[in-house]
Amino acid sequence: RLSPGRRRRRGPAAEGSSPRDGGSMRCQVSVLYFARSAELAGLRCETLSVPREITSLQLWEEIVKVHPRLAIIRDQVVFAVRQEYVLLGDQLLVLQPGDEVAIIPPISGG
Amino acid sequence: MEESEDVPKDFIKLKSEKLSVDEVSELVVSPYCGAVSLFIGTTRNNFEGKKVINLEYEAYTSMAETEMKKICRDVRQKWPSVKHIAVHHRLGVVPITEASVIIAVSSPHRAESLEAVMYCIDTLKASVPIWKKEIYEDEYSWKENKECFWANSEK
Repeated sequence: RLSPGRRRRRGPAAEGSSPRDGGSMRCQVSVLYFARSAELAGLRCETLSVPREITSLQLWEEIVKVHPRLAIIRDQVVFAVRQEYVLLGDQLLVLQPGDEVAIIPPISGG
Repeated sequence: MEESEDVPKDFIKLKSEKLSVDEVSELVVSPYCGAVSLFIGTTRNNFEGKKVINLEYEAYTSMAETEMKKICRDVRQKWPSVKHIAVHHRLGVVPITEASVIIAVSSPHRAESLEAVMYCIDTLKASVPIWKKEIYEDEYSWKENKECFWANSEK
Protein backbone atom coordinates (compact mmCIF):
# COMPACT_ATOMS: atom_id res chain seq x y z
CA ARG A 1 0.00 0.00 0.00
CA LEU A 2 1.53 3.33 -1.07
CA SER A 3 1.85 5.92 1.64
CA PRO A 4 0.19 9.24 0.88
CA GLY A 5 3.58 10.90 0.37
CA ARG A 6 4.62 8.53 -2.41
CA ARG A 7 3.60 9.25 -5.99
CA ARG A 8 4.15 7.35 -9.21
CA ARG A 9 7.07 8.54 -11.34
CA ARG A 10 5.85 10.91 -14.03
CA GLY A 11 7.62 11.61 -17.33
CA PRO A 12 9.28 14.93 -18.21
CA ALA A 13 6.31 16.10 -20.27
CA ALA A 14 4.05 16.08 -17.24
CA GLU A 15 6.48 17.49 -14.71
CA GLY A 16 5.77 21.05 -13.78
CA SER A 17 2.58 21.23 -15.82
CA SER A 18 -0.77 22.20 -14.46
CA PRO A 19 -4.16 21.91 -16.18
CA ARG A 20 -4.11 25.65 -16.93
CA ASP A 21 -0.67 25.46 -18.55
CA GLY A 22 -1.77 23.44 -21.58
CA GLY A 23 -2.01 26.45 -23.86
CA SER A 24 1.67 27.27 -23.56
CA MET A 25 2.81 23.72 -24.16
CA ARG A 26 3.00 22.57 -27.75
CA CYS A 27 3.25 19.18 -29.38
CA GLN A 28 3.89 17.73 -32.81
CA VAL A 29 0.83 16.40 -34.57
CA SER A 30 0.49 14.73 -37.99
CA VAL A 31 -1.79 16.79 -40.20
CA LEU A 32 -3.36 14.93 -43.12
CA TYR A 33 -4.90 16.67 -46.12
CA PHE A 34 -7.47 15.09 -48.45
CA ALA A 35 -9.24 15.93 -51.70
CA ARG A 36 -9.64 19.68 -52.23
CA SER A 37 -7.71 20.53 -49.07
CA ALA A 38 -4.69 18.57 -50.36
CA GLU A 39 -4.84 20.51 -53.63
CA LEU A 40 -5.01 23.85 -51.80
CA ALA A 41 -2.29 23.00 -49.29
CA GLY A 42 -0.11 21.40 -51.96
CA LEU A 43 0.67 18.36 -49.85
CA ARG A 44 -0.92 15.32 -48.25
CA CYS A 45 0.70 15.21 -44.85
CA GLU A 46 3.09 17.04 -42.58
CA THR A 47 4.07 17.41 -38.95
CA LEU A 48 3.07 20.67 -37.30
CA SER A 49 3.75 22.01 -33.84
CA VAL A 50 0.53 23.23 -32.24
CA PRO A 51 -0.63 24.06 -28.70
CA ARG A 52 -1.60 20.92 -26.81
CA GLU A 53 -4.87 22.43 -25.61
CA ILE A 54 -6.64 24.33 -28.33
CA THR A 55 -10.13 24.78 -29.68
CA SER A 56 -10.90 23.20 -33.03
CA LEU A 57 -11.33 26.65 -34.57
CA GLN A 58 -7.96 27.80 -33.21
CA LEU A 59 -6.38 24.66 -34.63
CA TRP A 60 -7.86 25.51 -38.05
CA GLU A 61 -6.39 29.01 -37.78
CA GLU A 62 -2.95 27.58 -36.95
CA ILE A 63 -3.11 25.43 -40.07
CA VAL A 64 -4.33 28.31 -42.27
CA LYS A 65 -1.34 30.38 -41.10
CA VAL A 66 0.86 27.73 -42.73
CA HIS A 67 -1.39 27.28 -45.80
CA PRO A 68 -3.40 30.48 -46.40
CA ARG A 69 -5.08 29.05 -49.51
CA LEU A 70 -7.09 26.75 -47.26
CA ALA A 71 -9.09 29.71 -45.96
CA ILE A 72 -11.62 29.46 -48.78
CA ILE A 73 -12.91 26.04 -47.66
CA ARG A 74 -13.32 26.94 -43.98
CA ASP A 75 -17.12 26.64 -44.11
CA GLN A 76 -17.08 23.24 -45.75
CA VAL A 77 -14.62 21.23 -43.71
CA VAL A 78 -14.54 19.32 -40.46
CA PHE A 79 -11.59 17.78 -38.70
CA ALA A 80 -10.99 14.18 -37.79
CA VAL A 81 -8.90 14.16 -34.60
CA ARG A 82 -7.69 10.68 -33.65
CA GLN A 83 -10.24 9.50 -36.24
CA GLU A 84 -13.26 11.15 -34.62
CA TYR A 85 -15.06 13.93 -36.48
CA VAL A 86 -14.83 17.37 -34.86
CA LEU A 87 -16.61 20.50 -36.09
CA LEU A 88 -14.66 23.74 -36.35
CA GLY A 89 -15.70 25.68 -33.29
CA ASP A 90 -15.32 25.95 -29.54
CA GLN A 91 -14.68 22.31 -28.83
CA LEU A 92 -11.53 22.05 -26.72
CA LEU A 93 -9.05 19.51 -28.00
CA VAL A 94 -6.36 17.98 -25.81
CA LEU A 95 -3.71 16.83 -28.24
CA GLN A 96 -0.97 14.25 -27.66
CA PRO A 97 2.32 14.08 -29.55
CA GLY A 98 1.85 12.09 -32.74
CA ASP A 99 -1.93 12.56 -32.88
CA GLU A 100 -3.44 12.46 -36.36
CA VAL A 101 -5.46 15.50 -37.34
CA ALA A 102 -7.12 15.24 -40.75
CA ILE A 103 -8.81 17.96 -42.79
CA ILE A 104 -12.05 16.47 -44.06
CA PRO A 105 -13.77 18.21 -47.00
CA PRO A 106 -17.33 17.09 -47.85
CA ILE A 107 -17.28 13.35 -48.47
CA SER A 108 -18.48 11.55 -51.57
CA GLY A 109 -18.02 7.82 -51.09
CA GLY A 110 -20.38 5.16 -52.30
CA MET B 1 -21.43 -26.94 -40.59
CA GLU B 2 -23.13 -26.36 -37.25
CA GLU B 3 -24.80 -22.97 -36.92
CA SER B 4 -22.50 -22.23 -33.99
CA GLU B 5 -19.55 -22.54 -36.38
CA ASP B 6 -21.08 -20.09 -38.86
CA VAL B 7 -19.88 -17.08 -36.87
CA PRO B 8 -21.14 -13.73 -38.22
CA LYS B 9 -18.39 -11.96 -40.11
CA ASP B 10 -17.75 -8.50 -41.54
CA PHE B 11 -15.73 -8.29 -44.76
CA ILE B 12 -14.46 -4.77 -45.36
CA LYS B 13 -12.11 -3.95 -48.19
CA LEU B 14 -10.77 -0.86 -49.96
CA LYS B 15 -8.95 -1.80 -53.15
CA SER B 16 -7.87 -0.35 -56.45
CA GLU B 17 -8.64 -3.42 -58.54
CA LYS B 18 -11.98 -4.02 -60.22
CA LEU B 19 -14.69 -5.15 -57.78
CA SER B 20 -16.40 -8.50 -58.26
CA VAL B 21 -20.07 -9.08 -57.53
CA ASP B 22 -19.47 -12.84 -57.46
CA GLU B 23 -16.67 -12.50 -54.94
CA VAL B 24 -18.62 -10.20 -52.63
CA SER B 25 -21.80 -12.33 -52.72
CA GLU B 26 -19.88 -15.51 -52.05
CA LEU B 27 -18.33 -13.94 -48.95
CA VAL B 28 -21.74 -13.61 -47.27
CA VAL B 29 -23.46 -16.79 -48.43
CA SER B 30 -24.43 -19.04 -45.52
CA PRO B 31 -26.30 -22.34 -45.35
CA TYR B 32 -28.41 -20.77 -42.56
CA CYS B 33 -29.49 -17.82 -44.68
CA GLY B 34 -32.23 -17.77 -47.24
CA ALA B 35 -31.41 -14.29 -48.43
CA VAL B 36 -28.41 -12.41 -49.76
CA SER B 37 -29.17 -8.77 -50.57
CA LEU B 38 -26.85 -6.75 -52.71
CA PHE B 39 -26.20 -3.12 -53.64
CA ILE B 40 -23.87 -2.12 -56.47
CA GLY B 41 -22.91 1.55 -56.87
CA THR B 42 -21.89 2.18 -60.47
CA THR B 43 -20.35 5.23 -62.07
CA ARG B 44 -22.43 7.39 -64.39
CA ASN B 45 -21.11 8.98 -67.56
CA ASN B 46 -22.79 12.35 -67.18
CA PHE B 47 -23.51 15.05 -64.65
CA GLU B 48 -25.62 18.18 -65.39
CA GLY B 49 -25.09 17.76 -69.10
CA LYS B 50 -21.32 17.40 -68.81
CA LYS B 51 -19.63 14.26 -70.06
CA VAL B 52 -17.73 12.42 -67.34
CA ILE B 53 -14.45 11.07 -68.72
CA ASN B 54 -13.21 9.41 -65.54
CA LEU B 55 -13.73 9.10 -61.83
CA GLU B 56 -11.10 8.95 -59.13
CA TYR B 57 -11.63 7.97 -55.54
CA GLU B 58 -9.36 8.64 -52.58
CA ALA B 59 -9.80 7.71 -48.94
CA TYR B 60 -8.51 8.32 -45.44
CA THR B 61 -8.09 4.57 -45.43
CA SER B 62 -7.56 3.79 -41.76
CA MET B 63 -10.52 5.92 -40.69
CA ALA B 64 -12.68 4.71 -43.58
CA GLU B 65 -12.18 1.13 -42.42
CA THR B 66 -12.99 2.11 -38.84
CA GLU B 67 -16.18 3.88 -39.93
CA MET B 68 -17.19 0.90 -42.07
CA LYS B 69 -16.73 -1.38 -39.06
CA LYS B 70 -18.96 0.96 -37.03
CA ILE B 71 -21.63 0.63 -39.71
CA CYS B 72 -21.44 -3.16 -39.49
CA ARG B 73 -21.73 -2.98 -35.71
CA ASP B 74 -24.81 -0.74 -36.03
CA VAL B 75 -26.37 -3.11 -38.56
CA ARG B 76 -25.99 -6.01 -36.16
CA GLN B 77 -27.60 -4.02 -33.37
CA LYS B 78 -30.58 -3.00 -35.51
CA TRP B 79 -31.01 -6.34 -37.32
CA PRO B 80 -29.68 -9.05 -35.01
CA SER B 81 -30.55 -11.83 -37.43
CA VAL B 82 -28.09 -10.52 -40.06
CA LYS B 83 -25.37 -13.08 -40.63
CA HIS B 84 -22.53 -11.75 -42.78
CA ILE B 85 -21.83 -8.27 -44.14
CA ALA B 86 -19.42 -7.39 -46.94
CA VAL B 87 -18.55 -3.84 -48.04
CA HIS B 88 -16.03 -3.44 -50.84
CA HIS B 89 -15.15 0.04 -52.08
CA ARG B 90 -12.86 0.80 -54.97
CA LEU B 91 -10.18 3.48 -54.85
CA GLY B 92 -8.17 5.19 -57.57
CA VAL B 93 -9.46 5.46 -61.13
CA VAL B 94 -12.84 3.81 -61.74
CA PRO B 95 -13.90 3.64 -65.40
CA ILE B 96 -17.50 4.56 -66.29
CA THR B 97 -20.10 1.84 -65.60
CA GLU B 98 -17.76 -0.10 -63.35
CA ALA B 99 -18.70 -0.59 -59.72
CA SER B 100 -17.35 1.82 -57.14
CA VAL B 101 -18.96 0.03 -54.20
CA ILE B 102 -20.58 -3.36 -53.58
CA ILE B 103 -22.45 -4.16 -50.38
CA ALA B 104 -23.79 -7.64 -49.61
CA VAL B 105 -25.68 -8.81 -46.52
CA SER B 106 -27.06 -12.24 -45.68
CA SER B 107 -29.91 -13.07 -43.30
CA PRO B 108 -32.28 -15.98 -42.75
CA HIS B 109 -35.21 -14.03 -44.25
CA ARG B 110 -35.12 -11.28 -46.83
CA ALA B 111 -36.55 -8.25 -44.97
CA GLU B 112 -33.54 -7.80 -42.69
CA SER B 113 -30.84 -8.05 -45.34
CA LEU B 114 -32.72 -5.72 -47.71
CA GLU B 115 -33.10 -3.10 -44.98
CA ALA B 116 -29.54 -3.57 -43.78
CA VAL B 117 -28.09 -3.04 -47.26
CA MET B 118 -29.97 0.24 -47.61
CA TYR B 119 -28.78 1.34 -44.18
CA CYS B 120 -25.18 0.49 -45.12
CA ILE B 121 -25.08 2.55 -48.28
CA ASP B 122 -26.99 5.49 -46.77
CA THR B 123 -24.68 5.60 -43.74
CA LEU B 124 -21.53 5.07 -45.82
CA LYS B 125 -22.44 8.14 -47.85
CA ALA B 126 -22.91 10.16 -44.67
CA SER B 127 -19.91 9.08 -42.65
CA VAL B 128 -17.08 7.25 -44.42
CA PRO B 129 -14.11 9.49 -45.39
CA ILE B 130 -13.90 8.69 -49.09
CA TRP B 131 -13.87 11.36 -51.84
CA LYS B 132 -14.83 11.17 -55.51
CA LYS B 133 -13.44 13.43 -58.21
CA GLU B 134 -15.36 13.61 -61.48
CA ILE B 135 -13.20 14.49 -64.45
CA TYR B 136 -14.96 16.16 -67.39
CA GLU B 137 -13.54 17.22 -70.73
CA ASP B 138 -12.39 20.68 -69.62
CA GLU B 139 -12.52 20.60 -65.83
CA TYR B 140 -13.05 18.43 -62.79
CA SER B 141 -15.18 18.54 -59.68
CA TRP B 142 -14.94 17.10 -56.19
CA LYS B 143 -18.37 15.65 -55.50
CA GLU B 144 -20.25 16.15 -52.23
CA ASN B 145 -22.83 13.68 -50.97
CA LYS B 146 -26.09 15.30 -49.94
CA GLU B 147 -25.93 13.02 -46.89
CA CYS B 148 -22.75 14.81 -45.76
CA PHE B 149 -23.86 17.26 -43.09
CA TRP B 150 -20.89 19.60 -43.52
CA ALA B 151 -21.33 20.11 -47.25
CA ASN B 152 -22.88 23.36 -48.47
CA SER B 153 -26.26 22.60 -49.96
CA GLU B 154 -26.17 25.51 -52.39
CA LYS B 155 -23.52 25.47 -55.14
